[in-house]
Parts: sequence; structure tokens; C-alpha cells
Amino acid sequence: MSSMRNLIRNENMKIYRRPRTWVMICFLLLAIGLMSGLMKWDESRNNHSNWQQNLTEQNQQWQKQLQDDKKMDSDDKEFISEKIKTNEYYLAKNINPNELSLWDYVNGSASLIMLVTILTVIVAADMIAAEFSWGTIKLLLVGPASRTKIMLSKYISTMGFALLLLLISFAAAFAAGAVLQGFDGLTQPYLSVGPDGIVHESSMIVNSIQKYGYAVVSLLMYVTLAFMISAAFRSSTMAIAFSLLFMLVGNTITMILSGYSWVKYLLFANIDLTQYIEGSSPIRPEMTLAFSISMLVAYYVVFQLISWLLFTRRDVAA
Amino acid sequence: MQEAVLQLRNVTKTIGRRTIVDNLSFEVPAGEVFGFLGPNGAGKTTTIRMIVGLISMTKGEVLIKGVSVRKHFEQAMTHIGAIVENPEMYKFLSGYQNLVHYARRHTGVTKERIAEVVQLVGLQNRIHEKVKRYSLGMRQRLGVAQALLHRPSVLILDEPTNGLDPAGIRELRDYLRKLTQEEGISVIVSSHLLSEMELMCDRVAIIQGGKLIDVRSMQETREDSSQLKLLIDVNNPQLAYRVLTESFTDMRISMNGSQLETMTEKARIPEITRRLVQADLDVYGISASQKSLEDRFLEMTGGEMVV
Repeated sequence: MSSMRNLIRNENMKIYRRPRTWVMICFLLLAIGLMSGLMKWDESRNNHSNWQQNLTEQNQQWQKQLQDDKKMDSDDKEFISEKIKTNEYYLAKNINPNELSLWDYVNGSASLIMLVTILTVIVAADMIAAEFSWGTIKLLLVGPASRTKIMLSKYISTMGFALLLLLISFAAAFAAGAVLQGFDGLTQPYLSVGPDGIVHESSMIVNSIQKYGYAVVSLLMYVTLAFMISAAFRSSTMAIAFSLLFMLVGNTITMILSGYSWVKYLLFANIDLTQYIEGSSPIRPEMTLAFSISMLVAYYVVFQLISWLLFTRRDVAA
Repeated sequence: MQEAVLQLRNVTKTIGRRTIVDNLSFEVPAGEVFGFLGPNGAGKTTTIRMIVGLISMTKGEVLIKGVSVRKHFEQAMTHIGAIVENPEMYKFLSGYQNLVHYARRHTGVTKERIAEVVQLVGLQNRIHEKVKRYSLGMRQRLGVAQALLHRPSVLILDEPTNGLDPAGIRELRDYLRKLTQEEGISVIVSSHLLSEMELMCDRVAIIQGGKLIDVRSMQETREDSSQLKLLIDVNNPQLAYRVLTESFTDMRISMNGSQLETMTEKARIPEITRRLVQADLDVYGISASQKSLEDRFLEMTGGEMVV
């Protein structure tokens, strides 16, 4: 009987011995390098010598706006007054917010998790479907490992690949930040205005990990979706096409349909949990964080169940 | 007969209303090469795939060394080595990496065992090359190596000779003989190449329309077949025909050019010769041959072969 550990080693061998995988990793590194270069270039165009003056001017402008504009709604008011408070805090502590720290690079790389998701979707789509197109599925299944175990080992390996890409992008962005800005900003705090109206300092690394965490939710869902389609239709093309299609048009669809109340049951409406962060509003007013999480869990379970049923029950005839 | 390594009990497969395999039951003892014969679409491949769990059975049970494939799949599969039609390997891996991949699934396949199997199939010089550079024959050998790694008790071959040239087929046949004799492995093989099956198998099962028509031992068939095919070459076949039909009224004789053809027992051959000589015919030759598996097969399945 096969041990799970060996089955995962097999799946990993099949992922990392393919040249394609390394092309993907290089591509990710290239994207992070490009992003860091652009950030640095953009920063260098700004004049930093009189940043204190700039912040003061900006605050005065906002104060004036708050007093003059009577029609402004309370959300915007709150937003602007928080901005003012943060700026005052920067001035008091003598921190230049426009000067990039290496954490800005790490936070920037969080927006590249979309790319990590796409690359992992491509790998996930191939996990089961490729065994069929290579014709190796027969030998794989005629062995002392149940289909459930084989599927699980494939899923775990896919998730391992996603984790590797996340680590690479975090580390690469951190390294790019360190090279371009040095380690000066390492201890720089993350500022936020709490419900008590006071500016709070928190750890930058926690903030970055949070940003990654939110992005990982959609990664998990889309990769699982691709895995399911791969198991169900045994076609990698279909798995990649549908997952990417949902990923790209999902947001637009929810926006168009946001007038209907049933839109809240769609996967795309729930996948972005940042909609519950202070300062933003969910797609439907009645949606809560708990609702979205239970919807995501439900979708996840359904995806897994469908893949499992189709992979373990269907005959391998061709 | 020794203890059966493989047992099929009332194995049935229906898809929709169509019965593809109908109540199949037979046993294969240790060390036997067992062949599956049948016209295309008879259910050979379906049966083999049910044995290895690729296709689920609607009814019945397959036991490998007494272990049910349905209930204890993983345990049953430890005894099985399979070579499927055109063994497909991971082309981006080397031959050796492919073997490591299959070895990892089993417990107790050592590096030494892998090396031993590589030696056995004669791939030691090219084993670290990528499989995409292998010829079909080499891939076939790698397929055999993969199947033997864990010292299985039953080797299952599904159309193993598809796509092989005659030399490759012969090579495979020699391996199989060696394996059954030296390691006591039972082999189950399906093929539509009748002459191959005749050379390879100890027993064959003939399937048609999903039903088992006959299971027969090749040896018995060879020994007890009283009926021989007789070809008689004479200078005047018309006269010979008349002589023989007059003397052996029960014999059916056909004329085939200058030759006469008939089926008869061995004991009758001297008498036939005497009659012909007495009729003053020049006999150039009388050759007796046993009916080939192909003749029998066509007889049994009514010539519905689609080969």
C-alpha cells in the first residue's frame, strides 16, 4: 500500500521536473522585479526635500474642504479626517510617508498574487487532466493506492506549489525592497485610525501578511475550481479556460448584477473579503463577513465533493 | 491444479441496457499464462480493466490471491503488475525516474531491485535518458520493468503486442516465458493476434458477446485433437477424389487446385495412402497438420472476427 508521503513526492517530482514549472517561477520573479523597478522609478520622480511642507499644505486643503462642502456624506468626511490625523502623526514623528520602505514592495507584491493564482491554476488544471492526455492514468491507477489517495496527493502537491510561489513572491519583493531602499524602513510602523479616533501603530509585517491572506482566499477558491474541472472533464484546456474566465469576469458580473439580492450567493461576490474592511462596503448591504465565509466554505466543500465523486467513481475506459 | 491466484466470480458489466460482460467466471492458477481471446468488442479489455479496477463491475467479484479487488483494492493491487497497451510513460522524466515513480507506490522496492529489473529488461545503458528519446520497443521494455518492480504474483497485459514489430513481439514472449518459469508469475494476456496467443499461452478463454464460450488448455488441444487436417498432393486429383469418396463415405473432401483437403483421424492415414497407391495414383506428398487456434477460434465464434 502506498504511503501518502511517497505519493506526494511522486506528484512533486512530476511538477518540478517539468521545465514549464521553472519558466513559471522565472516569470513570477521577472514580474516582481519589474514592479519593484517601476515603484522605484516612480518614487525617484518626486521631490522629497520639502515633504513636511507638502503634508502641511495638503492638510490645510482638506480642512478647508471639510468646512466648505456641506453636502459631503459622512463616510467621505470620516475618510478625510482620518487622512488628516495620519498626516499629523507623520509630521509629529518625522516620518516621510512618500518615501518607500521595503514593506511597500512587499505590499505591492500582494497585488501580484493574481499572477500566482493564474500560474497555480495552470498547474492545477494539468494535475489530473494531463495524466489522461499522456495516457499515464492507467498505470497510475493500477497500483496499491486508492483513487481518493491519489487525488488527495495531487491536491496537496498543487497547494504546495501555490505556497512555494507565495513564499517566492514575498521573499523576492522583500529582497527587492532591501536592495532598492535598504533596511531602514524595516521597523517603520503601519498607521491606522482606530474606532476611537486615535492613530495606532501596528507592525508592518502583520499588515503585509494580512494583505497576502486576503489574496490567498481567492487563490484557494480558483485553484480548487480548476482542480475540480480538471477532475470532472479530464481536460486541462477547459479547466484553465473556465477558471480564468470566472476570475476575470467574476467581478464585472457581480457589479452588473449587484441590484439583485441573489447576487450575494455567487462565488465572486464573496471571494473578496476586503469588502468588509473598515472604509469599504460590501456588494450587498445585507452581506456580513460571517455570511461570506460560510458561502466560501460551502463552495469549497461542493468543489471538493464533485471532484472526488467524479474522479473516484468514473470508469477509465479510453 | 495449484491454488488459484486469480478468480473471477460472476463478473458482470452493464452500461445502460447493454451487457458488455455477462456472468464471467474462471480461475487462473499460479505460474500459468492465461490468454483472453475474442473478436473486437467481445469484452476482453473491459474484463481486464475490471480486474485491475479501472472499470467498476456491476455485479460479481474478482479475487487476487483471495483478496477482493472491490473491497480491498489497495491490498489486492500489491499483487498485480500491469502492462497496458502502448505503455505511456512520463516523457519529461528519465526512464529511471519513471521507475522510481512506480517504485515509490509500493513498500520495499529497493534501489538494488530497480537496478536488477533494469538489467533484466536490458535497459541499463539508456536508463538515465529522457523517455521521449526512447523507441517504442524501449518504452515497452520500460513498461515491463515497471510491472515487475514489486515482484507481483499476477502480470496483466492488455494488448501488449500492439504496435510492436515481430522482433519486439518475440522478445516480449521470451520475457514472459522466463518470468513464469523462473519467478512463478501468472500472466493474463489479451490479444487478437491468434498465432501469438498460441505460442504464449497455456490456456485460453474464448469470449464472445461478453460471454465465456470456452476455456481450453493449449496442451490438451494439441494432444487430444484426433482430427488432423490432411493435404494430399497427387498427379490426378479428380481420380483421387473419386477413389476416396467411394472408400470413405463419411469423409468430406474438398479439392483445392491440385491438392485434396480433408479432416480425418491419424489412424486413417495409412489406409488412405494404400487406396491411393492401389488406384495407381502418383502421390507426391501427404501432409497432416493440426488445426490451428485460428481455425478453432473461427469455428467457435462463427467467423465473426474483425482483426
